[in-house]
Parts: sequence; structure tokens; C-alpha cells
Amino acid sequence: MKPNFIQKVTNWGNFPVVEKEMRSDDSVSKIKKFVRENNEVIARGNGRCYGDASLGEHIFSTKRLNKFTSFDRLNGVIECESGVLLSEVLEISVPQGYFLYVTPGTKYISVGGAIASDVHGKNHHAEGCFSEYVIEFKLMNENAEVMTCSREENSDKFWATIGGMGLTGIILSAKFKLKNIESSYIRQESIKAENLDEVFRLFDESEDWTYNVAWIDCFQKGKNLGRSILMRGEHALKAELTSNLQKKPLKLKEKFKPTIPFYFPGFVLNSLSIKIFNFLFYNKQTKKQLNNFIDYETFFYPLDVINNWNKIYGKSGFIQYQMVIPKENGKEGMRQILDTIAKSGNGSFLAVLKLFGKNNPQAYNSFPVEGYTLALDFKVNKGLKKLVDQLDTIVDDFGGRIYLTKDSMSRSSLTNYLQNVDSSKFVSLQHKRIVNNN
Amino acid sequence: MIVLGSNSEVAQAFVEECLAKGEKFPTIYFLSSNPETTEKFAGHIQVKFFQHSEIVPLDLMNEIDYKTLENINSDLLFCASGYLGLSTEDGLYDDENTERIIDVNYAKLVPVLNFFAKKMESKRSGTMIVLSSVAGERGRQSNFIYGSAKAALTAYLSGLRNYLFDKKVNVLTVKPGFMDTKMTEGLPLNPALTASPKKAAEGIYKAYKNKKDVAYVLPIWAIIMLIIRNIPEFIFKKLKL
Repeated sequence: MKPNFIQKVTNWGNFPVVEKEMRSDDSVSKIKKFVRENNEVIARGNGRCYGDASLGEHIFSTKRLNKFTSFDRLNGVIECESGVLLSEVLEISVPQGYFLYVTPGTKYISVGGAIASDVHGKNHHAEGCFSEYVIEFKLMNENAEVMTCSREENSDKFWATIGGMGLTGIILSAKFKLKNIESSYIRQESIKAENLDEVFRLFDESEDWTYNVAWIDCFQKGKNLGRSILMRGEHALKAELTSNLQKKPLKLKEKFKPTIPFYFPGFVLNSLSIKIFNFLFYNKQTKKQLNNFIDYETFFYPLDVINNWNKIYGKSGFIQYQMVIPKENGKEGMRQILDTIAKSGNGSFLAVLKLFGKNNPQAYNSFPVEGYTLALDFKVNKGLKKLVDQLDTIVDDFGGRIYLTKDSMSRSSLTNYLQNVDSSKFVSLQHKRIVNNN
Repeated sequence: MIVLGSNSEVAQAFVEECLAKGEKFPTIYFLSSNPETTEKFAGHIQVKFFQHSEIVPLDLMNEIDYKTLENINSDLLFCASGYLGLSTEDGLYDDENTERIIDVNYAKLVPVLNFFAKKMESKRSGTMIVLSSVAGERGRQSNFIYGSAKAALTAYLSGLRNYLFDKKVNVLTVKPGFMDTKMTEGLPLNPALTASPKKAAEGIYKAYKNKKDVAYVLPIWAIIMLIIRNIPEFIFKKLKL
């Protein structure tokens, strides 16, 4: 039997599904060989992106690069291989009083992926992107050489790789800083907003909060357009906790995780079922404002609770659409976007709205610009391309762009913003599509 | 704990499973044919579990210095030493390949297992967990050099278990079916029948805690092998398994 490394690969949206060669190893010499022998190589972490990012002719999976190298507990610095997941980092850091400075909405992404996407979280306005806290990383470049990249060493490569979607090489390992926390709980305030104007106002008023996010019901129209719940939070200080929680302030939440065992049939998630879900979600909070303490898992990773929740969308899969619109006209842009979505009848459970602060100009490939970003899911179906086109037009008109980690079919004018990433060695299907204007 | 075949993904997953379940070891001894590679894992468990370990070079294909093993004692030994080698199609008559398969899976492994069995026997306590394979249940045309070496190992472990029973030492024979590791990368294995190193480690740990004698990973293989074992030879010889 000759080994055949070609297999079906797909990302979190189950769209598209491709059949390509995928290899995985933890020996540097074997990785060098793979890079030397192939063109159009792309690294892949945990495949939690959407669309055709991290898919390519020859995919290198970092799943076997999953070891920790060191944890400086005094200064909160972790060094590990690029396939280590953020969830694994938290498992060892939280009990020691450390949290990730920046985390996206799922902890099941790899450290390499966090850098290649330069992920952001609910605290971008206060703490920026993941790269802010990256000290250095080791990258295998086009010549199959391992380079150490930092702000001081090979800094060109450092900045091109941050947000560079794997197009500069394979990140092998990284060293990054963590933040001190006194407890694993978040002091949270949830405030209901009746419409878009109100939620925008709440964002402005919540500037001083570290974590801000709004969950929007994107089926609402007219005067209820943008009906949402704003959630803002801070890491709870030990002294703030109830005496019960104070006994074990850095407790990790127990792991009961229901699993979606199979793909739901296509009709399960339809506009009616989603509308009902959204209605219940908004109305389960009866008070205008609810203040409480919740564990970090529930605050940061509500969807991670359910394994394989992406299967709820059925076999044809779904796409995620996330754009950012610069602040000046952000409100009007968001209004038009939400209006278009509501009219289409196509929508996801909840759309996530955030307000980005200024991004670090050195991280030129990084997605965020100061403005409003909305992320939501769309089931793959016939009317989808047309809807994406309509939304793309609005984003284009308002000078915004699309997050590559989520993109699967937006127009090139909104996705062709990476620089210093052209190489025949490292190419993704996404990059090819964008550059060829498909 | 003593680990043979320390660079095996299953061995490493088993070590992590034990540590994650709260098992405490003063030291883990990693016997390794490639100590440099093992360093990475030793560092990893130090960071993740504060676990101290020692790496002892041991290559079954070279002369073994038993003096280096003299002071290595533990109540738990885990052996994942193995070598799949070339399939029948690619290397049946390749003598070097054949010798290596037989040595690493059985001939040169037995003296080392005996060495540690003797220690446990004299202490009248201990558990040896050794990975054999379902391939050892019956020689089949696609890889019977490997299969026969594993068959020999299975018989050795069964006899050892018998011998050590009244000396209060346990021997657990683990029979993996398909596993998703570097050894099998690229082979067309049915995903429903294939265990990841983590899943395998969980199954082995459970069997160890429940003091089982034989454990199939995944458990479904017990049924598959029951069927395979009972196919009459006049039929089996015609199959292309």
C-alpha cells in the first residue's frame, strides 16, 4: 500500500470542501523536505477559520507541533509550538493567574493561526490584536530555512507574517505574553438596547470597559433594527467575588460538553427557527440591565460549550461574513447592512457587533481598522452569492473591508489588502481566488 | 513510570493521560532511541504538569548497556516500541527490513522486557503495559512479517502474564487496531475504526485502572478480530486483507 496523503479537507463552515494533500509532522527536517519538494504549500492550524483560508494544494497541518516549550510564571511568558491551541494555553495559565491578552470567540484555534490571522477579541479598543503580545516566533520561509522573527530581528518578515494568512511561511513556534488575573471570573453587565442608535450610544459610553460586545438580532426591522444586548466586562478582582467563589478564585470550569453528533437536515435551521431563537435570547433577560459574575468560559466562549455546533447548519455548510466599516460613517453603513440582511430573510442566530479601536499601524496586514465590525453566519443556499454581493457593495461604498479568516466569496476589492505576501511557495486557495479576481 | 518507545505518539498521549488524571510519578524514565526528539516532550510535561523526567538512550538495534538501566525502577512500565516497516508489496524480501521488524517488535525487545519483569518480580509488584497489535492475531498477506513479530510478542506477553500472576505483577497486552499516527499517515484507514493517540491513551488508561489483561483499541476491534480469527483457513488464504 503506497501512502496517499490526499484527503477531504474543509474548515469550520464546511464550505468549501476540497481534496488536497495534507501532511503533518513535528520534525523540522521532515517539514523542510515538504517545503522544498512542493510549491503552493499552506500551513493549517485547527481549521477554525471559514471559507478557503488555510486550504491549498499542499497543506501542512501543525497538529503535531503541539508541545509547550516553557512557561515563565514570574513574567507570564509562554513559549510553545504553533499547533498548541489557545484552550491548552488557558488550561495551564489560568490556574497560575494568567489569561490571554487577546482571545477570539473560540479558544480552539492554534497559536500559529492566532498570529496568521492576527485575531482580535472583545477588547480590541483597549488592548489591540493578538500580535501586540507576541514577542517572537520561528518561521520556516520559502527557502525552507527557519528564521527567528521579532520586532528587532527579521522585523520585515515579522510584520508581513502577522495577519499574513500563512502566505509568508510556516510558523513553527511562538513566544508571547499573558496578562495577570486575580480570578477566572468576569464581572459583567448586560444591557438591552432597543435599536441600533441605542447600542451605538452604549458602545460610546462603555469606552472604559475592557471587554465590550453586542449580540444583535439581525431579523429585526424598522424601529427595532439593531435590537441587541450589549455585554461589557472586566476580569473580576478577588475581593469583588462572593466569599464562596473566593475560596477557589482561579477555578477552571468543569467540562461537560454536549456534542452535535451529526449534520442536522437542511430544514432545521431556517428563518423561522432562528427568529424564535433570537426572540428567546433577547427576552430571557427581563431586566433592562443585569449585572453579575460569570466564569470566563461563558463570557468569552459561549459557542465552544457545544462541540461541533457547526453541524447545526447541515451538510451544505455555512459561511461567515465579517466586515469592518471605518468609524466616520460606520453607523450609517451598519444600518444599511442590517437593513439589507433583514430584508433578505437570510440570517444567523446572532450577529456580533464590536467597535474596534485604532490598530497598530506596524501590523499592516492586520484586519481591524477603527470602526464597527459585524460578524454573522449565513447558511449556504441559492440566494447567498447575491446577498454577499449586495453587502459587499455597501462595505465598498463605505470604505470598509472583509476579514480574511472568515471570507469565502467576497469581491477582491474588499479582500485584496495584504502586502508582502506574494510567493510561489506559500499559496492558499483563498489567495489565488482573490488575486485572480474570481 | 518507565517508557519504552518514548517517541511514540501513543506513549506520549498515555503519559499525558496519566498526568491529566492526577497520577503522580517521582520521575518518568524515557528510554529513547532518539533522545533529542524526546527532549521536546520532556520539556512539555515539565511545563504542563511540573513532571520531572530522565531520558535514557536505548536503541534496540544497537548493543544495550544494561548498566544504564540498573537504577531505573518503577511500578509502571509502558512499552510502545514498534516498527511497521515496509508492506509485503514493498519489501517482503528486503532482509534488512525484515530483520528490523522482527528485532524492534520482538527479538530485541524481549530481553529488555525481561530485564524489567525480573525487577518487578523481585519486588512482587508492578504493571507492564505493552503494545502489540491486532495484526498479531492472524498473519495476513499484506504485512505478515510485522504480523508474525506481533504474534510472537502477544504469545510472550500471555506467557509472562501467566508466569507473573502469582508474583503479583500485572501484564496488560494492548492490541491496537488502526491508529492515526505518523506510522500510519497516508494509509487508507476507515476513520470509524481509527483511534487518535489521545483516544487510544484514554482506552489504555481505563484498561490499566480496571486491571484488564487484554485491551483492544478501539474496543470494536475485539469483535472484528473474533470474526477474522474464525474465518476458516481455506477461505482466508484466498482473501486480500
